[in-house]
Amino acid sequence: MFGLLRLVIIGFVILTIIYVGVSLYSRSVRRDKLEREWDEEVKKGDREDFVEDGLDEYENSFRRKLIWLVYIIPVVIVLAIIYMVNIY
Amino acid sequence: MVYVKWTFWITIWLIVGAFFHYTLPQHDIVRIVNTYEEREELGDWTRIFWATPDDQSANLINRDVQFIQAVTPEGKAKVYRNEDTGWHWPPYFKFDTANLYTEANDAKSTKENPEWYAITHYGWRNEYWTVFPNAVAIKRVDGPDATIIPWLNILILTLFFALIWAVRVRWIRFRQARIDPVLEDIEDGWDAAGDRIAEKRGRVRRWLDSWKSKK
Repeated sequence: MFGLLRLVIIGFVILTIIYVGVSLYSRSVRRDKLEREWDEEVKKGDREDFVEDGLDEYENSFRRKLIWLVYIIPVVIVLAIIYMVNIY
Repeated sequence: MVYVKWTFWITIWLIVGAFFHYTLPQHDIVRIVNTYEEREELGDWTRIFWATPDDQSANLINRDVQFIQAVTPEGKAKVYRNEDTGWHWPPYFKFDTANLYTEANDAKSTKENPEWYAITHYGWRNEYWTVFPNAVAIKRVDGPDATIIPWLNILILTLFFALIWAVRVRWIRFRQARIDPVLEDIEDGWDAAGDRIAEKRGRVRRWLDSWKSKK
């Protein structure tokens, strides 16, 4: 069972690094998009406020929650492999 | 510089290729002949080619290993080890070694009355290092020329190359947006400094250019 523990700990650390990386990357892509939107379409009001509002909205969006798949998909794959190799 | 670059990338891709060739599942169509168990010495570097079925076995210098002997339709001998991979690498999560051994024993057939099986396995066979591929599953097939499409390998390799491509595209974009302008700034500074350092600049600039993306 120590093997399982090791897998869980190492897996958790690696997936957390990926999760944080993807979160930061996704947020920066959203920021670029909002900035471009303001520059090309909105052009009124405070640019910084517009971007911050957009990012707040993004924080609560479904897209943002999809990043949790970074944790969910590997666990599902491992369970599927265990089932396919040992039981199916 | 060109040779260093090529050597570097060829080496990297050979390692990646070897890694996938060792780790991904492959299928052999065989007739199972026999099974046996043998005490294996695990004390030298070839230890990396044996599995670690459980936590105690990590420290053992020898232990019994099960083997499955088979023959291909062409009459070539194939020997597979049958070991749990447990929670260790590669991630097959195989715990049913004893069941597989039973199935393999049940699947034996003679040359006169052959039954053909697809053995899923990973790993390499090397007679000189006493290295065996690890059998993961066996499945009855219709005949010696049954075709098996490796869907899983197609999926994994497609995803892998998609990932490489995605990272590469972003790196090139990043280089054009952030690194090239800085290098051009430096170059402009050099140009302003005149010809006194012209000879030196030739060398440094060539090095700087090697960082730039090809336009």
